[in-house]
Amino acid sequence: MFAQFFGGYLLNKKLVTSDDLTQAFEDKKHTRMRLGVLAINAGLMTADQVEHVNITQQSVDKRFGDLAVELGYVTEEQVDKLLSQQPTEYLLLGQTLVNNGVLTNAQFEQAINDYKSDNELTDSDLEGSKNESLSKLVTEFYHLEEAVNARMLTDYVTMMFKNIIRFIDGDFTPLEAMVVREFDAENLIEQRITGTYDAVTCITADKDVYFEFAKRFAGETFSDITGFENETVGEFLNVVNGLFAVNQSNEGGAELSMTPQKVITGSKITFEKPAYCIPVVFSFGEVDFIVSAE
Amino acid sequence: MVIQDLKVLICDDSMFARKKMSMTISALGISEVFEAADGEEAVAKYKENKPDVVFMDIIMPRITGIEALKQIIEFDPDAKVVMASSVGTQGHLKEALRAGAADFLQKPISDEDTKAILENAAKGVL
Repeated sequence: MFAQFFGGYLLNKKLVTSDDLTQAFEDKKHTRMRLGVLAINAGLMTADQVEHVNITQQSVDKRFGDLAVELGYVTEEQVDKLLSQQPTEYLLLGQTLVNNGVLTNAQFEQAINDYKSDNELTDSDLEGSKNESLSKLVTEFYHLEEAVNARMLTDYVTMMFKNIIRFIDGDFTPLEAMVVREFDAENLIEQRITGTYDAVTCITADKDVYFEFAKRFAGETFSDITGFENETVGEFLNVVNGLFAVNQSNEGGAELSMTPQKVITGSKITFEKPAYCIPVVFSFGEVDFIVSAE
Repeated sequence: MVIQDLKVLICDDSMFARKKMSMTISALGISEVFEAADGEEAVAKYKENKPDVVFMDIIMPRITGIEALKQIIEFDPDAKVVMASSVGTQGHLKEALRAGAADFLQKPISDEDTKAILENAAKGVL
């Protein structure tokens, strides 16, 4: 999930475009990590030093690591350690953006350092998928600390993103949230969460995007059935909300249930309390996830 | 009983969820698979077909899966009803088990989960 939010961060900082990210998520599948980006991320080399090694490599037939050691930037032990690390998704994204010429090594260095310090994230936070770190990231990205029911919203949004990665794909970029009281929807699925606390949750997108999202969840098998997209997106929302309810029940003792999903087409939906509309850009288009804690 | 001879009823308001499970069950060689889209229909289909196993969603329009479970157990105390729901909270679990559910599956349900339930049903240990 850090890769997607790192992408969102780069987009918010206007360092990349949405198209750059879509392309990078596609190319990332074939990206091999280079030692330079790993060393920048670990704070062992600056972007200037990496550039220096890259330029030197053009006239000397030596590997990056050997040259970096010879030039005194890193030790052999540090190179071995970097090479033995499993590349993380956000680093692969960064490497792809550098490979695609979207970011220079210096821009990557600045961005990754700012990203870590703005979100108070350590390297070990970014290597795993600890709930605490993910929640911190989500709260910071969406400014949820200002919200009433901040904890519930953070838990919900974190769970939602985990399940988007699990059931749909990881090739998306989260955009900044909008706080809305009403929403004009062409296609929208709504499900209410009731119990210890109440919430309204929705998924909405343009027709073609909606259909593609449904296909990602269900596969091609059922796509000829009439009403396939509403049925499928509805079931996705139901599964996410169910997993959220179970999680809240197990961890916080909250007892939650849900109402059957409702399909809303071509009309306006209003919310009693401010709703967070969270746009997420996939390679096939934008899907909006809405949650309002009542 | 061999697994292929089982009669199975799937109750879920999501057509997608019904079709997906129905496909998994048919792939095991089971030919008698019935479907219901809400709690009322589930009770009616149970009485009509006397299935060996029922997969029952909880959140459904008209009457919920828990209410349908109660009515099925009242009609047939030996009914094997497996709750197959997205909301496996402690409260729902307790309520379902008290009402006579044979087991509880949390959505998303894997093909392996479905198969394991049906194998147990065929062996008479559900």
